[in-house]
Amino acid sequence: MGMGLEEALKCVHCGFCLEACPTYVVTKSEIHSPRGRITAFKLGINSDGFQTCMFCRRCELACPSGVKYSEIIKTVRRPNPLEKIAVKLLDRPVSLVPFLRMLRINAFIPLEHREENEDLILFPGCLTSVVFRNSVEKVLNYFKSLGYKVSVYNDMCCGLAHEHIGEVQEGKERIKRLKDVFRGKVVVSLSSNCTAHMRENGIENVYDLAEFLLKFNLPLPKRDGEVTIHEPCHAHLLGIDNYIRPVVEKMGLKVAESEEPSFECGAGGDFFIFNRELSEKVMEVKKEKTLKSGVKTVISTNPSCSLAFLKMGLRPIHIADLL
Amino acid sequence: MLEKELKDIVGEKWVIESDEKKLYGFDGFTAVRGEPRLVVLPGNEEEAVKVLRLLIKNSVKVIVRGSGTSLSGATVSLTGDEVVVSLTRLNKVYSQKGFEIEVGPGIVNAMVTMNAPPHLFYAPDPSSYQVSSIGGNISHDSGGIHVVKYGPTFNSIISLRVLLPNGEVEEFPSSPVFNFSSIFIGAEGTLGAVLRARLRLYLKPKFKKSIFATFNSIRDAGKAIVDVFKSGVIPSALEMMDKYSIIAVENSRYKAGIPEVDAILLIELDGSQADFEERRVKRVIEDNGGEMLNVKDPNKLWNARKGAFPAMGVISPAYLTLDCDVLRGYLPDVLVKIREIALKYNVYIANVFHAGDGNLHPLISYDPSDFNSFYRAVKASDEIEKTVIEIGGVPSGEHGIGIEKVKFMEVYYDETSLNVMKRIKNVFDPYNLFNPCKMFGNCKVENREVKVLWEWD
Repeated sequence: MGMGLEEALKCVHCGFCLEACPTYVVTKSEIHSPRGRITAFKLGINSDGFQTCMFCRRCELACPSGVKYSEIIKTVRRPNPLEKIAVKLLDRPVSLVPFLRMLRINAFIPLEHREENEDLILFPGCLTSVVFRNSVEKVLNYFKSLGYKVSVYNDMCCGLAHEHIGEVQEGKERIKRLKDVFRGKVVVSLSSNCTAHMRENGIENVYDLAEFLLKFNLPLPKRDGEVTIHEPCHAHLLGIDNYIRPVVEKMGLKVAESEEPSFECGAGGDFFIFNRELSEKVMEVKKEKTLKSGVKTVISTNPSCSLAFLKMGLRPIHIADLL
Repeated sequence: MLEKELKDIVGEKWVIESDEKKLYGFDGFTAVRGEPRLVVLPGNEEEAVKVLRLLIKNSVKVIVRGSGTSLSGATVSLTGDEVVVSLTRLNKVYSQKGFEIEVGPGIVNAMVTMNAPPHLFYAPDPSSYQVSSIGGNISHDSGGIHVVKYGPTFNSIISLRVLLPNGEVEEFPSSPVFNFSSIFIGAEGTLGAVLRARLRLYLKPKFKKSIFATFNSIRDAGKAIVDVFKSGVIPSALEMMDKYSIIAVENSRYKAGIPEVDAILLIELDGSQADFEERRVKRVIEDNGGEMLNVKDPNKLWNARKGAFPAMGVISPAYLTLDCDVLRGYLPDVLVKIREIALKYNVYIANVFHAGDGNLHPLISYDPSDFNSFYRAVKASDEIEKTVIEIGGVPSGEHGIGIEKVKFMEVYYDETSLNVMKRIKNVFDPYNLFNPCKMFGNCKVENREVKVLWEWD
C-alpha cells in the first residue's frame, strides 16, 4: 500500500481540519479543504483542490486522528512547467535575482563569505539570501563580533519547495546532500520553515536563529518598541517557533498579540505566484488577523512570509535585523 | 437548463457538476456515501434565496448543508437527485447589540464568541465547535459540554429568518406565544433553510474551576455524578470518559497523560460560587471512592475530551456515534450493559459523554472495508438504543436522526406522535423537497448499509 493511501485511510472525515486550512477559510469549499483533498485522493478524483494546497500543513496539527496529510498531497501534486524551472533556480540563489526582479521583488546578489575551519555555517535559505541580504549581513557581523568563525552557505535549496510541488525525489536528494555537507558542523538557519524541513528530515544539527541565540545564551542587544509575532507554518508544526518570543522579550520588546499567529501568511512558497487570486485572499485574512494586535511591525523569520507581509503593507523584521 | 441558471446566480465556479461533487456526498457520518446531483455554493443571502427558489420552482430536491460535520448523515444524498446547497459562505455577522448577535448560518460556532464583546460568549459548544456551523447547530439542536448549565442550542436562539419550502422568506419575531422559530430547531433541514439567526450571548463567568477525578469502577463514577447534583451543585460541565475512550485519546495527538483507569470525570464549575462548590464536589468524589487528578494545564484535558470522537481514528478508521439520553440515575446500569453488548458483538465501544445531562456517546468502531464488521456495529447500536428507550431514555440527544437513527423513531414515538410529526412536515413541505429520506426514511434505497440501518432483522 502506498504511503499516501495508508494515511488517507486514517481520515474519519470529521472536518476538524477545515478551519485550519487557509484555502478553505477563503473559499468555504470542500474542494479546497484538506478533507476534500483526502477524499478526492481516496475516490480517485482529479480535483482542482490538489493544486490549490498551500502546503502549510496546519491541518496536520488540527487532525485528531493524526493523518499525515503531507504524505498524501505530495503524491498527487504536479508541478507546472514554470514551477519546475523556478525550483531549479533555488539551488543557485543568484540565478533567482532576474526572476524576482521580473516579479518586481527587490533582489540582490547573495553575500559570500568563507572562513577556514569555521565554528558555524550560516544557512540563509535561498530566498533570504537574495531578498533579505541585509539580514544575512547583520547576523554575520553579529557572530563575527562575538569571535565566531563563520561560512555562509548559499549552494543548495533545502528541498522544501520541491516537496511542496510534488517533486518528492528531488527534495529527498537535496536533504541527502545537505546532510553530507553539514555533517559534524553547527548550522544556523535564517529561514524558519527551511529549518523545520531539514530537522524533520533528520538533519539534527541545524538551529533556527532564535533557537541558537537562546540555547547558547548569546548576548542580546536591548531594543525598544512593540511588535507582533508571526509563527511560520512549518516551524509551528515542529514547535521551532517557540524560541522566537523569548528572544524578542529578552531584547526588551513588547509583544502585542495577533489572532492565530500561525495562520498561513498567504505566500505559500511559490503559491503567491501561481495562484494569485487565492493567495491574495489569504493575505487579506492574515492582514486582518495580524492587525488585531494593533501594531504593524511583525517579527517574521521566514522569507516568503516576510514578502507577504511587505505586500500587505506591514513591516516585517527578522530577529537578525534586531542584532 | 438548471445548471446554467444556477451559474447565472452564483457564478460559474460556485456550481460543482464534475466528479468533485462526490466530495459533498457524505459528512461526519461515513457509513453511507451518496452522490448529489449538483453542489451550489451561494455567496450571500440574496443568492441563496434565488438558488433555493429556482430549485423549488423546478421541484428539485434540496439538501442544505453547512460545514458537513453531521454525525447522523443529515447531509448525505441518498437518492442522487438532490442538489446540495452549501451555505458555508453565508458566514457574516450582521449585528451585535446588548446580549444578542445576528449571524448567517454558515458562520462557525467558535467564530460567534470571537465576534462577541470580550465579556460575552455563545454558550452551546458541540465538540466540533471549531468547525461546525450555526445553521447545522440549529437544525440539530446541538448541545456540547456546557448544556448541563446553559442548555442546548434551543436556549440560545432568539429568532430566525427562514426560507420555507414554498419559497417564501419569513422572519419570525421573537415571541412568547407560538414560539415560531422553535419548530425549525432540530428539524434537520426538513422544513426549510435557516438564513439568519439572532443568538443569545451570556456573560462570561469571571471564575472557573476544573476538577478531574479518576475512578476504578464506572459504577462509582456514575454514582458520583448523581451525588454532585444532590449536593446542590450544578456544574457548568460534567463529562465522563471510560477506559476505552482514554486509551483512544492517549494514543492520539490529544494525549493528556490520563491514567488508564475505568473512568475519569471532568468537571467545570463557573461563577462566583465556584470555590465553595469545589469543596462540595471534591467531597462527593472522595465519598464515592474517586481520586483527584491534579494537572498543570486543565485545557489539555478539556481538549482531549473535545477531540475524543475523531481520536477514535487511531482505533479504527470508522465508528458509529450514538447520542442517546438517559436519566442520570440510570447511567451506571446502562454503561455496564454497554460493556456487555460490546463483548456480545465483539466490537470496540468507547464511552465519552456529557454525563451531567445523561447524554451518552457510545462510539462503536468498525472497519469500513469489512461489511460484517459494520453489521456487528449496527447490531450493537440497535441493542444499546433499545436498552436506553426501554428505561425511558431518548434515542438522540443532539446529533439528530438523519439516516442513522431512522428505525428508532417508531420505537420511541407512538403512532399518534409520529403522525403529528408527519403532518407538520406535510404542511411545510408537501412535495417533500427538503432533505428527503431523513428522519422518517420513507425512501426506496438500494444500499446495503442503509438497509442494515433501517430494517430490523
